[in-house]
Amino acid sequence: MSSSSTSFASGGGVRPWTSATSVSFSGKRIQKEMLDFNANPPADCSAGPKGDDLYHWVSTIIGPPGSPYEDGIFFLTITFPGDYPFKPPKVVFMTRIYHCNIDAAGNVSLDILKDGWSPAMTISKVILAIRAVFTDPDPYKPVVPNIARLYLTDRAKHDEIAAEWTMRFAR
Amino acid sequence: MFRSNNVAARIFERQIVTPRPGTSVNYVRQFYENLVPNYTVYDVDCPDQSFRKFTDDGQYLISFSRNQQELIVYRPIWFSFSYKEENCDSVDLHQKTKRIDSFFTQLYSIPLASSNEVISKDFFLYVESRQFGIFATSTAQSQEASATEGAIHGVPSIEKITFHLVRLEDGDILDVKVFCNDFINLVHGMGHGIGHGMGVFLYDDLLCIMSLRYQTIHIIQIRDSGNLALVRIIGSFCREDDELYLNSHTHVTERGHFLSGIKQRLLSFIFRKTWNDEVDHILRVHHLKKFYFHFQDYIDLIMWKAQFLDRHHLLIKFGSVDGGVSRSTDHHPSFFAVYNMESTEIIAFYQNSAEELYCLFEHFYDHFHVTSRNSLHLRFISSPCNNIHALDQLLGIRIKACTSAQFVKKMLGTLPYTCQSQSPSPYFDLSLFRYDDKLISSMERHRQSTESPIKFILRRQPNVLKFKIKPGPEAGGSDVRSKRISSFIFHPILPLALSIQQTYMQPTVVNIHFRR
Repeated sequence: MSSSSTSFASGGGVRPWTSATSVSFSGKRIQKEMLDFNANPPADCSAGPKGDDLYHWVSTIIGPPGSPYEDGIFFLTITFPGDYPFKPPKVVFMTRIYHCNIDAAGNVSLDILKDGWSPAMTISKVILAIRAVFTDPDPYKPVVPNIARLYLTDRAKHDEIAAEWTMRFAR
Repeated sequence: MFRSNNVAARIFERQIVTPRPGTSVNYVRQFYENLVPNYTVYDVDCPDQSFRKFTDDGQYLISFSRNQQELIVYRPIWFSFSYKEENCDSVDLHQKTKRIDSFFTQLYSIPLASSNEVISKDFFLYVESRQFGIFATSTAQSQEASATEGAIHGVPSIEKITFHLVRLEDGDILDVKVFCNDFINLVHGMGHGIGHGMGVFLYDDLLCIMSLRYQTIHIIQIRDSGNLALVRIIGSFCREDDELYLNSHTHVTERGHFLSGIKQRLLSFIFRKTWNDEVDHILRVHHLKKFYFHFQDYIDLIMWKAQFLDRHHLLIKFGSVDGGVSRSTDHHPSFFAVYNMESTEIIAFYQNSAEELYCLFEHFYDHFHVTSRNSLHLRFISSPCNNIHALDQLLGIRIKACTSAQFVKKMLGTLPYTCQSQSPSPYFDLSLFRYDDKLISSMERHRQSTESPIKFILRRQPNVLKFKIKPGPEAGGSDVRSKRISSFIFHPILPLALSIQQTYMQPTVVNIHFRR
């Protein structure tokens, strides 16, 4: 069986076209980024638009080997604003993760998604940056201070809990 | 060698012939060709009740009072009487046969439902090893369900559903399990509003209850002591202690919209499969694009029904919310997942048109219908993989179907199997008898009644008519236009059956068929 051969017939996959700016600058930019991303995706990462809405993407990151997130499959939603690329996309985890830079609602807190954003960034770079914090969390700018504290004081314990979370919630 | 099929010859043969090892049961079952329920007592005098079924060991006849509030249990007894005159064959049977208590002794009648509840007529499960019965009562269903936290939209709500564990020996209620503001399917089959059929499955001592509103599978163990013990909850979380673990590690309450435990497992299974199956980069990207395109559809899938495949594996049917409420499920795809409760992994995922799943179903039919590790009855329920005639029937349906995809969908539509919905009566054994399966079958179902009697014809030579079952009054219905519905209750062992015919606005007619 190939799961990709499964398909939704009429009624299943029809959603309203949410954006009126599909031929706008942002739309063209996202389209181009999609082509670039698919031609040369970062290792163990994948992403694509949800349904036919270019502004809502789903991304999957496979937990990097050697990290406590190994063997986990992490799903994220990426929402592009209408004035992309002048404003950063919003990235939210749909899969629970024990990480000091990801809050209890799944919001990713990365500098490049806030003040550090530049229109020169691309979705590839964003996903790569998120994948990088799997192996190298930033405990000095945490959104969950408890996890950051544990990461700094007892790394082994931190990794053990993160691995347990991965096993329970991300498999 | 000349072989006679009369009963005396068979008894003699049984004395002198040793059947091949392991076949003696099948050999002995041939006696059923001689002992058939060929005598009918029409319109038996019986209380106005809904007779439900015999337990699979033949010990009890389950019945509910007309107001659906009381459980009435009978013990079948063999009808007997004595005659003073000689040559009793020629006389008509005694007036006593007209009464139901000549065939059954009422053991007890106990109230199960309170005034605003009714017993679910379609629902009854039997725990044979302990002679426990499981019954359900529920309050009325409300369509405009108030939005409750954690409940999904589009599924009606029932204020209170109660499962009762009853010791059938004496009618003692041993334990109850209550579900509030929930929806659990307790009717048979399709076309009864919310389709897909019975939401409860029993395997050995494990009960699987599908809560539709809360999208949760409750695994309950029936202890020998008569307790219903919750052993596992599958839905938001997969492991028993996941929620506890989560609460002990987060100090703030979760506000996020995380995938439920079972959805995370499902989506990660589909992702891994797509990722690993395709080595070619371009094709993999293409397949993943499709996966993301349908991502929201996968998220919107809800669990409709589940069954055990063994003690660790569940077969779960997923579909859209609309697909369940509307009568026709054709336009909405559904999916089947095999889930391992121990490892909390999805190990297979199929669409309802998957040839591969159908092939497994056809070749390992009994594995989909299993209700216990050591069920004796199941071996004798004719199925395409244990009976050549049942296989013929199946292939016949396949030839008649317009397209192969349609046929596959139709057959897979019977999955997950409705637990204990088939009668183990030898008269439904297709290697012994032939009958019109449109009129009668081992499958429990209400059927449109026909005027002509249902014929049971010997499968072996000389292929003669052995007996007929005719529901309804002897003379036939007075009004041929009125719709009559009949159901049949066969004893699993004895040549004894009840046929029940209901006609709109008329009293129910119960006939007893037995061997005179």
